[in-house]
Amino acid sequence: MIALLTGLLSTAVLAGGVLALAALGEVLAERVGVTDLGVEGLMSLGAATAIITVINVPDPWLGLLAAVAVGALGGAVFAFAAVIMRANQVLCGLAITFLGLGLSATIGHSVAGMPAPVTFAPTHVPVLASIPVIGPAFFAQNLLVVPIYLLLPAFFHWLLFHTRHGLNMRAVGENPAAADAAGIPVTAMRFWYVVLGAALAGGAGAYLSLAVIPSWSEGMVSGRGWIAVALVIFAGYRPFNAAGAGLLFGLITAIGFLGQARGWPIAAPVLNMLPYLGTLAFIILPVVLFKRMRRAMAAPAALGTPYYRSIR
Amino acid sequence: MKNPGGLFRAGYPEGTGSGTLIRAQTHRAGAPGRRTLMAGLGAGLASSLLWPKGARAAAGRQMTRSFAPVAEENALIAFGHTGPVTDGGWTTAHDLGVQAVRKAFPKLRSVYVESIPYSADATRIFRQFVAEGAQMVISTSNYGDFIKDVADRAPDVAFLECDGHNVTDNLGWFYITHWYASYIIGIAAGLMTKTNKLGYVGTFPIPSVYASANATLLGAQSVNPACTMSAIAINSWFDPQAATQAASALVDSGCDFLSGITDEPAYLRVAESRGVKAAMWNLGMRQFGPKAYVSSVVLDFAPFYVDQVRARLNGTWHAAPHFLTLADGVDRDAWGETVPPEIAARADEMRSKILAGYNPFRGPIRDNSGSIRVPAGVVMDDNMIYQWDWGVQGMTGLG
Repeated sequence: MIALLTGLLSTAVLAGGVLALAALGEVLAERVGVTDLGVEGLMSLGAATAIITVINVPDPWLGLLAAVAVGALGGAVFAFAAVIMRANQVLCGLAITFLGLGLSATIGHSVAGMPAPVTFAPTHVPVLASIPVIGPAFFAQNLLVVPIYLLLPAFFHWLLFHTRHGLNMRAVGENPAAADAAGIPVTAMRFWYVVLGAALAGGAGAYLSLAVIPSWSEGMVSGRGWIAVALVIFAGYRPFNAAGAGLLFGLITAIGFLGQARGWPIAAPVLNMLPYLGTLAFIILPVVLFKRMRRAMAAPAALGTPYYRSIR
Repeated sequence: MKNPGGLFRAGYPEGTGSGTLIRAQTHRAGAPGRRTLMAGLGAGLASSLLWPKGARAAAGRQMTRSFAPVAEENALIAFGHTGPVTDGGWTTAHDLGVQAVRKAFPKLRSVYVESIPYSADATRIFRQFVAEGAQMVISTSNYGDFIKDVADRAPDVAFLECDGHNVTDNLGWFYITHWYASYIIGIAAGLMTKTNKLGYVGTFPIPSVYASANATLLGAQSVNPACTMSAIAINSWFDPQAATQAASALVDSGCDFLSGITDEPAYLRVAESRGVKAAMWNLGMRQFGPKAYVSSVVLDFAPFYVDQVRARLNGTWHAAPHFLTLADGVDRDAWGETVPPEIAARADEMRSKILAGYNPFRGPIRDNSGSIRVPAGVVMDDNMIYQWDWGVQGMTGLG
């Protein structure tokens, strides 16, 4: 039973990390008021870049770095269009997704199907790894698990909710005109946090192709970028919730497969439906049960609207 | 690329063309996968309608229509793929066949389109092939009515559909009898498993998948009657992450031998890292997990494609159903490095028997509720296995 739980949680942690990292990036972009629907494409681009890099230079950290850089570059293209030129964010995001999917298929064509020569191999964190169930799942997997679930969410939570800079970020997302009047550089803030969020999406792609799968093939992101965008809403635009949502989604998916493997008397299509039923339930339940959470979990007021200083 | 409007006028009466599109859409809307999904869903219906009457009718009709010979330098052969040629599995295997055709007929022109969806888009792409002047169109997966509609309206073009079920004057199908290779690998699985639990990473509950999983389990039970199999349907032909999770869940539940039918090698990596064994499908894949690798159901479409294209060029091509048999289109891969020689020899004994004409799929075969589905003395022939829609005794999962 313990072994089963450990296996279940390990699978969930490993697979959920992709969603958690991408969702964290999206939290940053949406907190400053920009809907970045390019996550799927940026993840795909990051995944392909990471594999191409490690095939040429066998170092997983370099692969991750390259993927983060390419993600940031893609994010800069998006941010230039959506923040500086103030084009429609939804359309720009979709364009980046298609661009990323197509471009990654093109650049990755020659390495498709090849196994990654180096990966983020499982590493035991001393002491912590020997905690039952949680230890093997969080502290005996690859080295990226701890930053994704713990360090990055903690840092961004502190940044967003415990610093003046974070207050400024949230102000830009809630009411850019007021923020502008208070002297906060709205455009610069939006631009750089969109770029940072996109960099994390690229990193999520690298995590997918260097730690989870580990190889590249066209279409391997298969919709996880979109799920990450949905998780941000579920997570109420909060870093820890976003990481937790990724984990939860991984867990529900893992339970579905486990049910099939153990021959539970539930039809396979129903088990395969679990993640989506779960998403629905987790979005609906908190709103129904805790009315006051509606405000705390609400989207930033200016989300998705470009800011024009001249129109007041 | 020409514009689709122009294409439309080139080969098809406009009114009927759009009618076809709408019909195709409502008929197949939401179809999640390739190959014989229709047969899988309408199991009883499909088997009574398509088998064996369909095959027989086709056999009786196949000589009625012949096609004029084409000079090699004037020929255009078009291939429609279901995935990218770099998927490292199914479509790569077909692409090797395309390359063999190009090598055998260097003056011939050939084109292919990757990742054709199961929608009215498929009809559009196959029409485009016709409008570009292709004498022969080969789809490397099941497109059902989407390809049949185009074939019906282009009677002078030869069509071949992988895993198809329709045979008309100018549309034939082909499929590999992969169940024999799976049975041979199953024998190795039955001898190598210690927990007597086999795992199967399946895609959709369709006859191809039933045939593959059942054959592996029957092979294992022939040498180790205690063997059971847990199967998982991941609802995709290509989703490495879902395959990885499914494989982990199988290993967590005690399976120590994985097989499956996905288009890529994800579950072999899981087997390698978890210290269990795995058998693959499509291509040899030992490089993804040399310690775990047992064998693979290797597909080779090259000789068949070259034959068919040659027949079309010579004017001797006729629409017909084709099964590519063991050692002639499908086979087990060379055994993995960790397979004990005596186990390999025992499995290969069965391979020799099958090559000599033996069919291991003979009654009594029980389904997973325990009732006898194939009585003693009855042998399941290829047409029957091609329509398989129930799990054998000891199988869980797959609905």
